[in-house]
Amino acid sequence: MEQLFYYLKVSWFSIKRAPLPYMLTVLILSLGLGVFFSNATFYYRMNSDPLPDKSDKLFFPMMMLVPYQCSDCKAPPVLSYSNVAKLAASDIPSARAAMYSADGYLRQHAAQPPTPVTVRITQRDFFSMFDVPLLHGTIWPDNQARDELLLSKATAEKILGRTDVVGQQLLLDDRLFTIIGVLDDWQMLPKLYDAYNRQYLNPAEDIYLPLESGYDYNYLSNNNSSTYDDADYRKLATDGRTKAIHQLQYWVQLDTPAQQQAYRQFMANLVTDEKAAGRHPSPEANQLVMLRDIVRYFGGESADIKAFAIVTLLFLLVSVFNASHLSLNRYLSNQYEFSLRRALGANRSQLQMQLLVDMGLMSTFTLAGAAVIAYGCTKLMNSLWPANRLFASWDVQLMLALAVLTLFCSYLVTLYPSLRASFGSLNKQLKE
Amino acid sequence: MPLHLLFKSLQRRKVVTTLLLVQLAMTFALLLNSILLAQQTRQQLQQPTGLPLQQTLQVQLKPTTVALRQYPALGDLLTRQLEAIRTVPGVVAVAYSNQGPLLYGGNNGNVHDPDREELSKANGVPLYTVSADFFNVLQLPPLAGELPQNEIAVDGLAKSPVVITQSLANKVFDDKPAVGRQVNRGPVAAVVADFYGQRSAGTVNYNAIQVAPLYGVDWGYSILLRTEHGSTDKVRQALPQVLQQVDSNIEIFYIRTLAEQQQRLYSNEFGLASLLSLLSALMLLVSMISSYSNAYFHTLKHQQEIGIKRALGASKSRIFTELLSENWLTTVLGATAGVGCALVLNQVLAQVISIPSLSWWLPLLTYTVLLLCVTVATWYPATIATRISPATATKAL
Repeated sequence: MEQLFYYLKVSWFSIKRAPLPYMLTVLILSLGLGVFFSNATFYYRMNSDPLPDKSDKLFFPMMMLVPYQCSDCKAPPVLSYSNVAKLAASDIPSARAAMYSADGYLRQHAAQPPTPVTVRITQRDFFSMFDVPLLHGTIWPDNQARDELLLSKATAEKILGRTDVVGQQLLLDDRLFTIIGVLDDWQMLPKLYDAYNRQYLNPAEDIYLPLESGYDYNYLSNNNSSTYDDADYRKLATDGRTKAIHQLQYWVQLDTPAQQQAYRQFMANLVTDEKAAGRHPSPEANQLVMLRDIVRYFGGESADIKAFAIVTLLFLLVSVFNASHLSLNRYLSNQYEFSLRRALGANRSQLQMQLLVDMGLMSTFTLAGAAVIAYGCTKLMNSLWPANRLFASWDVQLMLALAVLTLFCSYLVTLYPSLRASFGSLNKQLKE
Repeated sequence: MPLHLLFKSLQRRKVVTTLLLVQLAMTFALLLNSILLAQQTRQQLQQPTGLPLQQTLQVQLKPTTVALRQYPALGDLLTRQLEAIRTVPGVVAVAYSNQGPLLYGGNNGNVHDPDREELSKANGVPLYTVSADFFNVLQLPPLAGELPQNEIAVDGLAKSPVVITQSLANKVFDDKPAVGRQVNRGPVAAVVADFYGQRSAGTVNYNAIQVAPLYGVDWGYSILLRTEHGSTDKVRQALPQVLQQVDSNIEIFYIRTLAEQQQRLYSNEFGLASLLSLLSALMLLVSMISSYSNAYFHTLKHQQEIGIKRALGASKSRIFTELLSENWLTTVLGATAGVGCALVLNQVLAQVISIPSLSWWLPLLTYTVLLLCVTVATWYPATIATRISPATATKAL
């Protein structure tokens, strides 16, 4: 320990002797690491798997069940009510849920000003498929229409001031609904069950309503809806259930490869049946996309973050080269001191130890600087790309990654100078 | 100083020179691609929209009660809102619309000539249902035909006449006169000049407009108004109160000028261009520090050598030029390697974002910027070198 303090003291004296080059080295390395880390945070979070145990078991089936003919079209990203009914006819999936999102206005009573809310209109399996935690109450016992809703914890606290509100009634778009459940803190990020149109960047919804009630009360999708034929999208309760109004996402849980294969076969058989009935004029274009692949399938990956990731990596490299350059100049200036110590009996391993302590000290300063710069850069990125703001948070794992990266970069920066200082020719160095 | 001697001098510091060259090459590559991206964003923001951007305000709003979202209550609400806005000083014209222009996506569908559907079909055309003053607000006089004056429901027995933009008319009717002919949505009443509709559409200038009651407002609707020069801010401030006084059961999502709307349409590109510009500036700074440090350290290490040169008759200006020349040579070498790096980076970026390819004059501009920065960074160490006295040479003896 005493030796360590000695090395630290020598390092400190060395810094004090020429503080500007040292500060510049630390600053440049901090800049490179900070900028790289802030973008890496977004990149890592956006590409993380929110359901690692299930992301290879949940699938989004899509088919060309549309009333037009197209030979090279991809299957539509949303399904009609009747499409879902056909896909739900199979008992192969362990769980299944159709869903979409809509907007609404919530209030306790007519005299209160309304609060805008987002509504997920779905079926009961949604909660088990996506591991949605329940704090109070229950989920609907079946998929029938009912004037019952579930609230997110934040919405319950915002509207009613507390979470234990099961049994109370609320006005959603002037219709009375009973609260049957309140969710616990839950934020699926990225929100992969709603990946189309980059909706996966948005927070989870405030309210959950049964699908049948959503159709009865004519809630239109706020994300994507397409109407074909003479269907009137203002008549969801009638036209919505029978005609080609596409607005539903549909997820199935297929736990084993055998189930997945069987469901693919079921979809292929369905195409054959529909073609025979004259309802599938286009060639087969079935898709069964895994949850973890859904963003890529819809082409919704954040290109800006990806492009900036390439550039920040380049910047980090430049910073490391620059810091190495400065570090080398600094060591060359101090070479006489190293040589003198070697001449006085210090062996190479002792000099290496000294350089390791130098590196540790530099890593500490750099880590602090990088954290500050990364914080500022994250704020800047949030203001320039507000849609990504939910992905800006750090956790212990990310901080540890930054620490390891800082240590590695500091090591790289000091590696060559330390080798040169320790292994150069002593006579030559003393002459210089 | 002859070129071969400059190279020899650089060779004496192989590692330091290599590090500097790599940095300069990467800085050059990033700087060049940042300029490209910034230039592209600027072009996107400056492309003609055919709209009075500064004087037009768009209010996006939605009734908060179910009753107000349906006719006849909705019709009454719209009439009262438009009347109230007309009384605001500075308002020239006002209209409602199911959606505004300059959007990424929205309400759209295909438009085609029913007699030759496959050949004439234009997909993803923004479909507007508007009040008659829409054309006056957006300053879109008819190029052919007459603008409809009465609202006719789009789902009524009689087809609501359609107004289409010039480029859509050319596409659907193959450059032949469109007025009086039928498209799948109704008879063409007029053709107006092109304006920017939706970015997600194949061609941003395709638009189809029908003067009709709003079909549905579950996604909200827009009130568009044109203001007198210099009145936009005052009108904008007055609008929330005016609209709330008409009926408080509304949610106003935003009030923006079309210029702000256009800016938002390219906000992602603007964000990336801003971040890359910032990063380029940082990289230039880092390169300047590197050049400074390189020159300064070189001066310190070679004081005796410089002293000898001075003693042998080298003038101060020669020493100064010598030091600058070394750094210029490094910069030129680094930047030349940077052209290759820039091409690679451009290709890599083109796989993820839309970025134009390099033009011949951009590397020249980037060379100039880099040389200027390096010169500024090296100036002070070079000045120090000129102050080294010829007497320093005696220390070598």
